[in-house]
Amino acid sequence: MIIAENLTRIYEMGKVTVHALRGVSLTIQKGEFVGIMGASGSGKSTLLHLLGLLDKPTDGKIILGGIDVKTLNDRQRTRFRLKRLGYVFQDYALVPELTVEENVYLTSMIRGTSKEEYQAQTYEILERIGLADRLTHKHNELSGGQQQRVAIARAMVNKPEILFADEPCANLDSESSRNVLDLFKQINREMAQTIVMVSHEDWHMEYFDRIIVLRDGQLISDGPPPEEILEKACKYK
Amino acid sequence: MLLDLRVSFFLALRGILRGSRGSLYLTVLIIAMVFTNMIFMPSIILGFIKVAEDQIITYQTGNILISPHEDELYIEDVFSLLEKINRIPGVIRASAHYGTGVTLRYKANSLGSTVVAIKPDDERLVTDVYRKMVDGDYLADGELDEIIIGIQTSGHKDNSLDMGPTLGYLKAGDPVTVEYTNGVTKVYHVKGIIETGSYYADQGAYITWDELESVFGRKVDYATDVIIKTDLDAYEPLVKTQIYRYGIREKVQTWQDILEEAMGRAVQNFAMLNSITIVVSLIIAIVVLFIVIMIKTLNSRRQIGVLKALGVEKSIIIHNYVFQVLILTTFGVIVGITLVESMVAILTVYPFQFPDGSVTPVVATSDLINNTIMLYIASCIAGYIPAWRVASEDILTAMRS
Repeated sequence: MIIAENLTRIYEMGKVTVHALRGVSLTIQKGEFVGIMGASGSGKSTLLHLLGLLDKPTDGKIILGGIDVKTLNDRQRTRFRLKRLGYVFQDYALVPELTVEENVYLTSMIRGTSKEEYQAQTYEILERIGLADRLTHKHNELSGGQQQRVAIARAMVNKPEILFADEPCANLDSESSRNVLDLFKQINREMAQTIVMVSHEDWHMEYFDRIIVLRDGQLISDGPPPEEILEKACKYK
Repeated sequence: MLLDLRVSFFLALRGILRGSRGSLYLTVLIIAMVFTNMIFMPSIILGFIKVAEDQIITYQTGNILISPHEDELYIEDVFSLLEKINRIPGVIRASAHYGTGVTLRYKANSLGSTVVAIKPDDERLVTDVYRKMVDGDYLADGELDEIIIGIQTSGHKDNSLDMGPTLGYLKAGDPVTVEYTNGVTKVYHVKGIIETGSYYADQGAYITWDELESVFGRKVDYATDVIIKTDLDAYEPLVKTQIYRYGIREKVQTWQDILEEAMGRAVQNFAMLNSITIVVSLIIAIVVLFIVIMIKTLNSRRQIGVLKALGVEKSIIIHNYVFQVLILTTFGVIVGITLVESMVAILTVYPFQFPDGSVTPVVATSDLINNTIMLYIASCIAGYIPAWRVASEDILTAMRS
């Protein structure tokens, strides 16, 4: 479960002060597939970064899995991310020198999982996403959609409590985007995986259980994707 | 910790094997060149010193030299001294020398030189000069009116090879006039010409002890120096101590003492040159590796940010790059050793020709080890700093780069 209370994030950019988030509070239950939407500059990526422990709030509180993350030092935050969180980024961010399977099992290696175990887990997850025949391929031998699926496999191999995805379909064509979103939905349903995804595509809303809409760093709506929310999201885009 | 290092090594190995081949080869080549530079100069200097050592032992003083104290001209009672020395364990043979200034004349040429009287049978057991006759033969005990002359005094057929004034290509069988300081002038038959490669030996002239006594008209039981050959496994300083224990009061020097006296300053200067070469080489290595790793890390800033986001610790990322430079350095050292050994092999067959002899580079194992360690330390520093700088950036700054 994720609890965020009064999250504020202020950036000092030279003499300019940017209020990226202004007192956002929310709760995300285990197993939810939540979309964070809003116009460019609305603070959706900032919120994802704070919830995913990639950044620290200027003010406010985040409780992940019952732990107030403010109490964690940098090393503990790193271990927390490794052991309990998963990430999928917009540009896949695969390590170019590693093969598909090496990219997937890298974090398992760091967690100290035995070789036999992480190889089996890697094969299993890659088979699940239909890339088991690409184990030894390098990233540049895959299409964009395939690379993003490998990134999802990398995020999922350690069975994280929460999977964060930052506009994972931004660089994909619509068909590949749909494949990736189908995969997220499948993971969410079959594994009761909590997923928090940032998106700005209206048609992605149909995949989410719940949509959080931000505007100018403030939460303006939070709920399932009914028709009126879809219209509102389109308006703010 | 061990697990983290294993992951760092895994990333480093993949980074090198699957990274840019051109960059890999060039970096390894530069490290190899730096290593070669660090080793080659000292090996030449060591080669010079080795030549000097060999020449001192083989053609000049043997392993130990006994000479009169500064306030004395001669070693008195030399034959009884030789008997004593020859009984010392570890001594193969001692040979007495009596050197005297002379003027040599051949045709229109005359030259101031030193004639050394020797006991040829003793001398054969102490120096290898008798093996270096390029013309004629070596002296034999008891021979009179015969002289052997070094090539730098007799002169080469091609006078461009002469290193100073000579008698103008004197050959075995030619007559040479020797004017002694006691007024005796005598014409000798040149029995042989010596060419050892040692300038000191090659500028001398030698007669027998009997010939010296005939010139002086009396028995000569004193010498200007005594040279001693020791067993191969004898430790010269120990033999020197034993000589003193036998009650010998003359000045006793091992070849190391002589070398230190003759070349100590030169060796110090060489050592300074070596140090400068090594420091410059290390700076080049540090700068090159620093640039290579800096470029690698700057190109991988976003990737480093992503790795940190995934939960990869900063230390794993830094060690990854440190391992990369260590691997590159290992390849560089291997290529460097191969280059150095190849050059040594070639220069053993075709040595540098210097006036004092043929110089072959001598690679000391200690130099190899020390320079390798220094290169590894330099590499660690050069890899660590840029990796630390980029890995210390906060995640979002790195990811947005």
